[in-house]
Amino acid sequence: MFFALTEDQQEFGSAVRTYLAERFDLDAVRAYFEAPATNDAGNLDGLWKAAGEQGWLAVTVPEEHDGLGLGLVEAQVIARALGAGVAPGPWRGTVLAAEAIRLAGSAEQQARWLPRLATGEAVGALGYSRSVEYGQTADVVVTPEGLLTGFTATPVGSYDRTTRLARVEGGSTEALPGDASSLEARATVLVAADLVGIAREALTRTVDYDKEREQFGVPVGSFQAIKHALADLHVGITMAEHAALYAAHAVDAGLDDADLAVSVAKAKASDVALASTAAMIQYHGGIGYTWEHEAHFFYKRAKRLAGQYGTADAHRERIAALTL
Amino acid sequence: MDLTFTAAEEEFRSELRAWLSAHIPAEWRRPGFWESLSDEESFGLRRDWERDKALAGFAGIQWPTEYGGRGGTPGMKAIYDVEMVLADAPRTVNPLGLTFLAPTVMAIGTDAQRKEIIGPMLRNEVIWCQGFSEPGAGSDLAALTTRGVRDGDDFVVNGQKVWTTNAVHGDKIFTLVRTTPGSQKHRGISMLLIDMHQPGVDARPLKQMSGASEFGEVFFDDARVPATDVLGAVDEGWRTAMLLLSFERGASGMSQYTEFRRQYDEIAAVAKKLGRDRDPVIRGKLARVLTELECLRLHAMHILTQTEQGRDLGFEASMTKLQWSEASQDLWEVFDDVLGEDVTLEELDDLDLTPFNAQAMWSRSVTIWGGSSQVQRNVTAERVLGLPR
Repeated sequence: MFFALTEDQQEFGSAVRTYLAERFDLDAVRAYFEAPATNDAGNLDGLWKAAGEQGWLAVTVPEEHDGLGLGLVEAQVIARALGAGVAPGPWRGTVLAAEAIRLAGSAEQQARWLPRLATGEAVGALGYSRSVEYGQTADVVVTPEGLLTGFTATPVGSYDRTTRLARVEGGSTEALPGDASSLEARATVLVAADLVGIAREALTRTVDYDKEREQFGVPVGSFQAIKHALADLHVGITMAEHAALYAAHAVDAGLDDADLAVSVAKAKASDVALASTAAMIQYHGGIGYTWEHEAHFFYKRAKRLAGQYGTADAHRERIAALTL
Repeated sequence: MDLTFTAAEEEFRSELRAWLSAHIPAEWRRPGFWESLSDEESFGLRRDWERDKALAGFAGIQWPTEYGGRGGTPGMKAIYDVEMVLADAPRTVNPLGLTFLAPTVMAIGTDAQRKEIIGPMLRNEVIWCQGFSEPGAGSDLAALTTRGVRDGDDFVVNGQKVWTTNAVHGDKIFTLVRTTPGSQKHRGISMLLIDMHQPGVDARPLKQMSGASEFGEVFFDDARVPATDVLGAVDEGWRTAMLLLSFERGASGMSQYTEFRRQYDEIAAVAKKLGRDRDPVIRGKLARVLTELECLRLHAMHILTQTEQGRDLGFEASMTKLQWSEASQDLWEVFDDVLGEDVTLEELDDLDLTPFNAQAMWSRSVTIWGGSSQVQRNVTAERVLGLPR
C-alpha cells in the first residue's frame, strides 16, 4: 500500500512553490489583479517562461512529443501549488488541451500541437464553459466538438482577477478522432486540486496571523471559538487533499470508482475552499475585508472555481446517483 | 501510488476468509439472533468463539510471535479488521485489553507481567476492563481522585470509575489510581492491575439511553492489589497511560469505513423502500455523508501508508477520531430525515427499525468517548496547528 506522493512528486510541488515565492509572490499577483480585467498580458511573461522551462506544461505530454510523460497525479501536484499561490496564467487550459490531443488526437495532430503546448510556445484553453479561461491568449481551444482555432475572443469581466476570461466565437473546428471522454474528469480534478491549494494556504495564513494578533491581551488564536473552527478546517482540508490525490490516480488508472472519486474530490474541495477563504476573512477581522489585504484573492478565486465543472451540490447529486 | 496489498497479505486474507466462513454459524447472521440471547449467553458465545479464533492463529495479528501473535504486517491487521466486518464476525469481548493493555505490557511490562497477562488475554481467560474515567474526571482525566494507600505488600484502593466497557464481565481492570496522597494533576498516579473478583470491587451495569449496557460503573471499597501489580513505575501512571492511549492509532479506519458504508447502503435501501430517495434534499444529505465516508477510507489508506513507512503519526489520531465519529453521527442524523415523522417507530411497514434505532442512539456516544470532539479539536488546534494554549 502506498497512498502518498513520492519524493519526486513532492519535489514538483516544492519547485512550483519556491518559484512563486521567489519570483511571483503576492505582490506580483496583486499587480496582475489590479491591472484592467480585460488586459491579458500583464506581467506574466516570466512566469509563463518558467512554466515551459520547468516542465509544468509538459507534465502529461508523452516523452516522444518532448513532454515528461507523467500523469494526472503529478499534474494535480502542480495545480495545488498554483492554487496556493493564487497564480495567474493559462497553465490549466494548456495542460488540458494537451491532454485532449494526447487522448484523442491523430498522430498528425499530436505532432503538430503537443511539442508546442509542452514548451508554452502554444497556449491552449478548455472551452467547456461559457467563459473560457484565457480564451484571449489561447492558440487552440478544446471544445466538445474538437479543436477550435481562428476564433475571436472577447474579454469578460470577472471579480476573480487572478484569472482572465473570454467569450470565444467563430473560428473553425477540427474533430479529434479518438475518445476524449475523460477530459472533463481531468479538468475537474485539476480544479479541485487548485481549490485544495487555495484552502490550505488560506488556513495557514490565518493560523499564522491568529498566533500573533492580540485582543484582550492575548493572541486571538488562543480563543476556543477560533481554535475549533480552524481545527475543523484543518481536518476538512486534509480530507480534500486525500480526495484530490485519489481522484487523480483513479482517473489515470481507470479505477472502477473514478467517477465517484472525481465528484467526491470536487464536492469536498469546493466546500473546504469556500469555508477556508471565508474563515480567512473572518479570522483576520476588519483587515481581512480590505482591498489591501490578500484574503480576497483567495476568496474570489475559490468562488469561481467552486462553481466550475459543477458546484458541490451538483457533484453531490452525481454521488447520490452513483450510490442510491 | 500502489493501492494493493502484497501477495503474502492477500494469502492471509484468503486463509482468514476460509476460517471465518467455516466457523461462523449461519444462525448467527439471522436478524434478531443476538437480541434473542441474554447478555450472559451472548457474551459467553462470543468469548468462546474468539478463543477458538485465537487458537487458530487469527489474533494478535501484528504482535510478535513470542507473545502468541502472528507477527503480521500493518496491512494484515487492516485486512483482518475489514474481513471481520464483512463476515459479520462477533465483536471482540476483550477490546481494551487487546488494543491498549497488551501492546503497553509488551513495551514496558516486566517479564512476569508479559507471561501472565498476554497469553491468557489472547485465549479470553481474562477479560480486561479499563478504569480511567471517574464521575469527576472525564475530559479532565488528571482530576481523578480514586486513591491507593500502601499497606504492607498491597495497595488498598478506594474510589469509583465509570464508563467502564464490559464492567460486569470483567476479570481484571487496569486502573489509574492516585498513589501519592494529596498529589495534583498528572503527578502521583499509578496504573494498578486490579483483580475484580474480590469483595472490595463492585461492578454495576450502567443502562445507556439506547437501553443497552455496554458500559458500567466500578466501585472500589478497600480493594486490595499487590504492590507488584503496577504497570510501569509507581507514581508514573500518567506516563503509562499516555503510552497506552497512543496505541489507539492502530484503530482501523478501513474497517470503520466498511462498517459505515454498509450502514449507508442499508439506510439508502430504507430510503428507497419509502420513496424518499427521490427527495433532492435527502439525496444531497446522503451524498454529503458519503463524501465524508469516502474521505475516511482515503485517510485510512494514508495512515496505513505512513505506518508502513515507519513514520510517526504524531497527533493525527485526533483527526482520525474526528473524521470517523462525526461522519458516522451525521449518517444517523440523515436516517432521521429519511424517516420523518416515523423516526421513533420500532416497526414500519413490516420493517424492523429497532437495529437502526440502536445504531442511531449509539451514534450520540461516539463523539464523547475516547476523547470528545471538543477535546480532539483542542488537540488538533494546539498540537498540530500550533495555536497558543
